Amino acid sequence: MVPDYLTIAEAAKLIQQRELSPVELVESRLQRIEKLDGKLHSFIRVLADTAHAAARTAENEIAAGKYRGPLHGIPIGLKDIYETAGVATTGHSKVMQDHVPKGDAFSVKKLRDAGAIVMGKLATHEFALGGPSFDLPWPPARNPWETARFTGGSSSGTGASVAAGLVLGGTGSDTGGSIRGPSAFCGLAGIKPTYGLISRMGILPLAFSLDHAGPMAWTAEDCAIMLQAMAGHDPADPGSANRPIPDYRAALKGEVKGLRVGLIRHFYERDNEANAATRNAIDAAAKQLAELGCSVREITLSPLPEWSACGMTIMLCESYSIHEANLRRRFTDFGENFRDRMVLGGLVSGADYVQALRRRRELIAELDGAMADLDIVMTASAPSEAPPIDQVPKFALFERPSLTIPFNITGSPAMSVCCGYTDSGLPLSFQIVGKRFADATVLRLAYAYEQATPWRGRRPNL
Amino acid sequence: MTRAELDAALGRLGLDVSEREREEVVAVLPLLQQMLDRLRPPGGRDVAAEPAHVVKFPEG
Repeated sequence: MVPDYLTIAEAAKLIQQRELSPVELVESRLQRIEKLDGKLHSFIRVLADTAHAAARTAENEIAAGKYRGPLHGIPIGLKDIYETAGVATTGHSKVMQDHVPKGDAFSVKKLRDAGAIVMGKLATHEFALGGPSFDLPWPPARNPWETARFTGGSSSGTGASVAAGLVLGGTGSDTGGSIRGPSAFCGLAGIKPTYGLISRMGILPLAFSLDHAGPMAWTAEDCAIMLQAMAGHDPADPGSANRPIPDYRAALKGEVKGLRVGLIRHFYERDNEANAATRNAIDAAAKQLAELGCSVREITLSPLPEWSACGMTIMLCESYSIHEANLRRRFTDFGENFRDRMVLGGLVSGADYVQALRRRRELIAELDGAMADLDIVMTASAPSEAPPIDQVPKFALFERPSLTIPFNITGSPAMSVCCGYTDSGLPLSFQIVGKRFADATVLRLAYAYEQATPWRGRRPNL
Repeated sequence: MTRAELDAALGRLGLDVSEREREEVVAVLPLLQQMLDRLRPPGGRDVAAEPAHVVKFPEG
C-alpha cells in the first residue's frame, strides 16, 4: 500500500532502495486522481497511458542498475502553459484549446531526462493571468484544504494537485507571484528562482521580462531536487543565464547560523495590511530564524504600491503585446477576467511603459543597496489565508498592491514557505528572498526553517 | 478617462467590449491612473536622467 502522501525525497529513497516501484507509485497517484480530482479540478488532462509506460521504463532502468537520480520514477504535473510534445498545451483557454506542440519545453525535457513521470497537464489561470474564471472550457482548481477556497494563482492546478498528493511535485510560472501565491494558499513550498536560471523556451509567455519558471512541491528539499533538474543554460531563451549550477540539495545541509535577514514589515503591516493570523505567524517565523542563529532586523524599502505600479505596468504592456492580435480577432473567446484585465494593458501608453522601466532600474538598485549587508529579506507571501473562491474581484490586482511582484521586478530568488495554519486549518506563509543567483541560500534557510517547525507534518484531510 | 474617451480608445484598439464590461472597466480606470501616476516622481525626471533601456551590443 503506497501512502497517500509522500515527498519526492521520501519516494526517491524508497525507489532507489527498490522498496517502492515507480509502477506502483504511478498507479496509486492515478487512483488518487480518479478519486479526488472530480472535486479539485486540478487536472486539465490526465496522461494515464503515457505515465504507465514511463513508469514501466523507469522500473526496468532501475532494475538494470541505471538509476538516474532522485526524480527517477517520480510522478509530477505540468502547468498547462508548459509545452508537451504531441499533447495539447492550452493555457487553460479556448483560444489555444487545440494547440498541440511538436516538442517539449526545454525544462520539461530536462525533467523527463531526470526520470520524472509526467502525469498530466494542470489547471492554470487563463494564460497565467485570468483567474479564477468560471467561463472557460475547464473549471478553476479548488483548494484541497477547503474546496470553497481559492487556490491562488496562476499556478492553481499545481498548488491543488501537490497539496492533495495527486502528484509529488509540479511546475509553475511566476510573473507577479504565480508560484508563490498558490504555494501560500495551498501550503506548499514554491520557489521562483533567479531570473534566467530556468529557460522559458516552450512555456507560453505572460510578460517576457518578468516571467520565471520554477518548481512547486511539499518541501524545500523537494524544490531543490526539482530545481536541480530544471535549471541550466538554454541559448534559445535570450534571458537564460550561462553559469554553473550548484548542487542545491547538498547545499541544504549547510549552516544558517550567522545569516543576516532583513524583515520588510511595512509591506504587510502598512502597505497591504495582513490579517492578525498572518502577522502573528510571520512574527513567529522571524523569531524562529533568530533561534536558528540568524540575525534579523527590520528594513524599510519604497512603499509596496510603488513596486506594484512598476511591475503591473510592465506586465500589462508586455502581455497585451503578446495577445494583441487574438484580442482583436477573438475577444470573446477569452474568459472575461483575462480579456478585461488585458483591456487595461491596451490603455497604457508607450511613455508609461518606459517610465516603468526607468522605475524598475531604480527599484532594483534600491533592493541591491538594502541587501548590501544582508543575505536574505523576508516578508509576507499573501495578506491572509486563502479567501473564498467566489470572492476574488476581477480587478483585485489593482485594489491591493502585490506582496510578491517586487521580486519579479528585481529578478531575485523568492520562495513561499508555510509558517503555520489558521484556527480553521488553512495554511499561512511567508517569503524568503535572496540575492540574484543565491537560490541555494534561500533553499537552505527554508529547509532549516522547515526542519525546526512542525508545519510539514500536516496535510489536507480529503 | 471618461466613458466616451474609453469608447474611442477601444475603437482604436479594435476591441469588441460589451456595454457591461465597458462600465466595469471605466469604474477601475481611476485605480489604473493612480498606478501610472506612481511611475513618475513628483516634479518629473530630469531629461538627462539615465535611460531606461540601453541596448548592449555584444563586445568585440
